[in-house]
Amino acid sequence: MSADYTLDIRGESCPYPVIYTLETLKDMSRGQLLQVIVDCPAAYRNVPEEVVKHGYELAREPEKNGRDMIFLIKA
Amino acid sequence: MSGFYKKWVLSYWSPYMAMALAGILSAAYFGITKTVWAVTGEFTRLGGHILELFGTDISDWSYYQLIGMKGTTWTRTDGWIVWGMFAGALIMILLNNNFKIRVPRQKRRWVQGFAGGIVAGFGARLALGCNLAAFFTGVPQFSLHSWIFMLATGIGTYAGAKLISARWWKGKPLLTKGSVTPLRARSRKVQPVVGIVAAVAYGALIVYFFVTGHRMLGVAALFGALFGILIERGQICFTSAFRDLWISGRATMTKAILVGMAISSVATLIVIETYGLDPVTKMAAPSTFVGGLLFGVGIVMAAGCETGMMYRLMEGQIVFLPVFVGNIVGATALAYAWDHMGVYDALVASGAKINLLTEIGPGFALFATLFVLAAAFAVAVYMQKNYRFGEGLGRPDFKKGGMKRVR
Repeated sequence: MSADYTLDIRGESCPYPVIYTLETLKDMSRGQLLQVIVDCPAAYRNVPEEVVKHGYELAREPEKNGRDMIFLIKA
Repeated sequence: MSGFYKKWVLSYWSPYMAMALAGILSAAYFGITKTVWAVTGEFTRLGGHILELFGTDISDWSYYQLIGMKGTTWTRTDGWIVWGMFAGALIMILLNNNFKIRVPRQKRRWVQGFAGGIVAGFGARLALGCNLAAFFTGVPQFSLHSWIFMLATGIGTYAGAKLISARWWKGKPLLTKGSVTPLRARSRKVQPVVGIVAAVAYGALIVYFFVTGHRMLGVAALFGALFGILIERGQICFTSAFRDLWISGRATMTKAILVGMAISSVATLIVIETYGLDPVTKMAAPSTFVGGLLFGVGIVMAAGCETGMMYRLMEGQIVFLPVFVGNIVGATALAYAWDHMGVYDALVASGAKINLLTEIGPGFALFATLFVLAAAFAVAVYMQKNYRFGEGLGRPDFKKGGMKRVR
């Protein structure tokens, strides 16, 4: 499964990871895949939860890579 | 590794449980020390000590007379609450191997953090407390000023959320086409070892306080660390509790904090009645409202309040360093403006210390408090269900693939 776009928001603190992710998803076409890389611990939780609440799905389980978290989200 | 360690040290906790525990602990802390869990008063004193270091005579500043400057930060319970929170949070982060210098890619975040820190520090002290003393521990003390502060902070964060959503403020993220395979992180396990050493050292310090007769410092150092552990493990963010309602209708923190306050209100009332203590009541005045507004705007600009900033900084989110410095600068500026610029006469003098317990009696006071908290909870649930990012409240039945896909 390869992503159409990648959003690298490491270093950004809340609420910017959620804002950037939802904003980017909004501009993508349905079914496209977005990879999001975050390292803000609050974003480990609020990015996936807000994405799902806004009607998108996680294309696979969040993946932890050291202190980063990688999400693959279907627009 | 034992299941207990995995569950309580290596996992994040439910914010509801973290806040419920914080509510009970803060009531217990009040029962033992007769002071409340608070941080910004100490920030203001730190600012005072820095001024003294540069030769400024602050002995006649009435704000410092009001909050008291006795001793140093190491000999005050309020001081050890602050350092304990830093220590407790840092220990948990190290045990989880999760410390990392996290540097924002956009330079503007440094300026935003510093500016927000100043505004929040100034506003919090104008209202005589931040989201702790004027909110999380203020409401359970039945001090009316905390209700005014809570309302004003809500309005302030709304304005703040509008500000940070502006293009020039939020900036652009790094978006690339295609997939990126990040480098596999090496798994080095130095941090947990450092964490264990730090935990043992800090535990020894608490024991030292007790055996040398500094019981209250020991209590503060212990409770400070516990509060630090709770807010870090629960990722408690008072800023998010308000702000995220206006951004994406996220209400997890809002609800968790309200539950914590309800529990703390009951626990605190029990402590007050059992031990015959006087509740901590602060002045309710125009300054409370203005301070709350500024605080609300400031914490959203800084992306963290005086409490959340502490564990974020320990996680290595160094953008919170200018926030911390800003908090102290803002708090100290307020201490100066208090009498030197007529803030007290203009905004505070007309106020009064009003406590619901003495005004309407314990039964009604508790009922009124729980009723307002429940109403706030209902609003949070409504926002969570109906408020959507970029859409607002307009279309409650908004679903994926709606009108937004037209272009």
